[in-house]
Amino acid sequence: MTTLLRRAVALLALLALLVAAGCGDDDGGSTEAGDGGGGSAEVGAPVTETASDAQKGGELTVLSAGDVDYLDPGKAYYAFSFMVLYPMHMTLYAFEPGNPEEAAPMLADGDAEVSDDGLTVTVKIKDGVRFSPPVDREVTSADVKYAIERAFTKEVTNGYVNSYFANIKGVDAFKKGDADEISGIETPDDLTIVFNLTRGGPLVGALSMPITAPVPKEYAREFDSKNPSTYGENQVTTGPYMLDSYRPGREIVLTRNPNWDGELDPRPAYLDRIVFSEGNDDATVASRQILEGKGMVSGDFPPPPAVIKSTVQGDTKELIQFNPGSGTRWVSMDTTRPPFDDLNVRKAVLAGFDSNAMRLTRGGELIGDIATHMLYPGVSGFEEAGGMEGFGLDFLSNPSGDEELAAEYLRKAGFESGKYEGPPILMVGENAGVDQAAAQVAQRQFEKLGFKVNLRQVPGDTMYTKFCNVPSSDTQVCPNVGWIRDFADPETVLGPTFNGNNIVPENNVNWPELDDPAINKAMDEASALTDPDERARAWADIDRMITEQAPLIPWLWDKFPTIHSTDVQGVNALWNQGSYDLAYTSLAGAGS
Amino acid sequence: MTHYIVRRLLWIVVLLFFVSTLTFVVFYLLPSTDPALLRAGRSSDPEVIEAIRVQLGLNDPMLVQYWNYMKDIVLHFDFGYSYVNNAEVRDLILDRLPATISLAVGAAVVWLVLGIGVGVISAVFRRSLVDRLAMGGALLLVSAPVYWLGLVALLLFANDIGAFPLFEGSGSYVPLTEDPAQWFASLIMPWFVLSATFAAIYARLLRANLIETLSEDYIRTARAKGLSERRVIFKHGLRSAITPIVTLAGLDIGVLLGGAILTETVFNIPGVGRLSYDAITRGDLPIVQGTVLFGAFFIVVLTLVVDVVYAKLDPRVRYR
Repeated sequence: MTTLLRRAVALLALLALLVAAGCGDDDGGSTEAGDGGGGSAEVGAPVTETASDAQKGGELTVLSAGDVDYLDPGKAYYAFSFMVLYPMHMTLYAFEPGNPEEAAPMLADGDAEVSDDGLTVTVKIKDGVRFSPPVDREVTSADVKYAIERAFTKEVTNGYVNSYFANIKGVDAFKKGDADEISGIETPDDLTIVFNLTRGGPLVGALSMPITAPVPKEYAREFDSKNPSTYGENQVTTGPYMLDSYRPGREIVLTRNPNWDGELDPRPAYLDRIVFSEGNDDATVASRQILEGKGMVSGDFPPPPAVIKSTVQGDTKELIQFNPGSGTRWVSMDTTRPPFDDLNVRKAVLAGFDSNAMRLTRGGELIGDIATHMLYPGVSGFEEAGGMEGFGLDFLSNPSGDEELAAEYLRKAGFESGKYEGPPILMVGENAGVDQAAAQVAQRQFEKLGFKVNLRQVPGDTMYTKFCNVPSSDTQVCPNVGWIRDFADPETVLGPTFNGNNIVPENNVNWPELDDPAINKAMDEASALTDPDERARAWADIDRMITEQAPLIPWLWDKFPTIHSTDVQGVNALWNQGSYDLAYTSLAGAGS
Repeated sequence: MTHYIVRRLLWIVVLLFFVSTLTFVVFYLLPSTDPALLRAGRSSDPEVIEAIRVQLGLNDPMLVQYWNYMKDIVLHFDFGYSYVNNAEVRDLILDRLPATISLAVGAAVVWLVLGIGVGVISAVFRRSLVDRLAMGGALLLVSAPVYWLGLVALLLFANDIGAFPLFEGSGSYVPLTEDPAQWFASLIMPWFVLSATFAAIYARLLRANLIETLSEDYIRTARAKGLSERRVIFKHGLRSAITPIVTLAGLDIGVLLGGAILTETVFNIPGVGRLSYDAITRGDLPIVQGTVLFGAFFIVVLTLVVDVVYAKLDPRVRYR
């Protein structure tokens, strides 16, 4: 009897494990989920037009894992934060969902007028736009001026204003406290704002950034006097929605702005209420909730590869979109340290690197195209830089890697065997999710060429702030870095990441520490150009110069996946990693 | 007894002081990440980074930072501001505490009822089929990690993604004050998942204790005096066998009140555990310190409660 019972218990345990294994297999996060995914080219095309039968009303829930970086339009710098903020605000210019290259007037009443010398930019704003309660009054050009000025203050600490707005006259005096206002921003009347510049630059493109959303000084002053400013939690808005409540890490609720005038704003704003439900750390569970539930869309997380696979192979293909132009992913090499200070070693690594294997870690072909140069689709200058084909460089010609070519370059670098024979290298990557897998694949790619790799895997924040973004650290290879533009201008992709003048001791994003005088000079000249076509050509040339230096391995042009529930008519904002533009998204049957 | 309790309460203050000091020193000396760089995002502008350092007080010497921190706690019950989202740590913790208390206390009720019930039955009917099945099941549950069990429970029983939609799924938690019925429904699965391992351990522990106790001389004496079996087991046997369970329960509940990270994560319950986990991964020292202090507070207070209950359960125990 005892033996029988023991066997029965053992059998039961085994059965339970098998059942559980079966349950778990669906969502096991296989990294090979997407090698083609079984999907056709049409599967997952982004939606950039509103549905013809879109109706007003309803509540949409956005599931996200994390929170916004900041809720203040003067500080926010993450794609997810932009997803939250743009439906609330009218920036001077904004990108329509399907056009990530050219911003259209939003608060502005027409295109910006740029003087012949490119040093004066004049923008007219719309008459009659009003702030949400409790301010309620009409917006003036002074509100836009204050919004930009406050971004330069220590209470707001904006992350990009010094990159794109520092060429406005009087900025330095304002930052030093020698002036109360930025003299180079003039407001000759309530509906005109003039920017006087010291030199050319991408300012016109940057007028689509959230710091151009107007801020009423008389109301915001109280919050901006605190350090840090608390205006974000107390902000007033001019867009179709306003902030109803914010519980950090838990929930953000937007409701309709009663003062919004649809005649002055091109966005249809179908939804009545938008709830951002945060803390959905398990992407598998959250993805399934969206795909099998109602009234939900994904926020800041991509569905795991296994969910992508089952979705594109199942009956709900229309619920997933792969959004081109969502950024680019790189494996960077420190060009200042041996062995990567040798151009031939770098070329060898690029030649032998299997980008396809890297792509499989994220879900395969559907998740993006293999990168062939630094500018990526959707950024001005991409086509001028050879488009998808790139510059035809031999060491980037085989996406699966060419070990013979790699050996040839290694021999040129002095390794007669065609294999690297030097001391071990330090690679620092992330320790979780698909990035962990990508780091391990990158490690194998280097080992294939003879490198001995010490791979240290740490949390993402630690990887950046302690290793990859710190030039003085001993890190030689960072396999999990990448970049996304701030707006369509190519300078926002290549300037911060490859200009030698931008190498800084902390938060350095010129990861390869590339400091080529010719490239730096070309960037300075291209930055001053004001004609969009000239800028595109100049930056495409710079792209070639950088790519020829092989400072890093460009392995993916992202197509960030988004998912929505069956009753959601989602519209993807291609300028913002394809995240749903909630001012265009609607719910089927909302009006019934 | 009163003197004892007062003395213990004073020790709690001393202990919390040491805990806060230790946490501060560990995070100051071994930072996992630089909060100023984290807040600066991808901006590499040194001016911005410096302004953030000033905002966060990171340029002050360690002792000054520590002094300011302790002063604010003692004088204002102010735990500072999150490095990541600038929210008040006290508000963040108090905002999330109800969820954690709901989860921990509810799960404790479930595991105590199940653990004690199964333990008594197994002890009384030891070596029976019921005993073997119960102990086999307990072994399985002890072996099952909470995150795995939670995920399986969701995939099987959640009303949104489950194969047999019976219970509310992930992210359905609402506070008790908002909707008691929904609160209860949303916590059924988390309670059972969280309590599974504890119930199994308690059942096995109680079974062993009770079997040993029931073989004692005084139990035989009680039976010889003609007491009913129910009275022998519950009045004399269980009362003695349950004292280690009380100790264990006090500590376990205390630990869980500091946050049940895995359960909160799997079921997307906005509790203290998830808050502390996110803070640790992002180097958000003020939140880490706040949650550690709260966790330590619960543990020491519940230890005191256990000691008091101990004295009530066991007349031999007296405190002076």
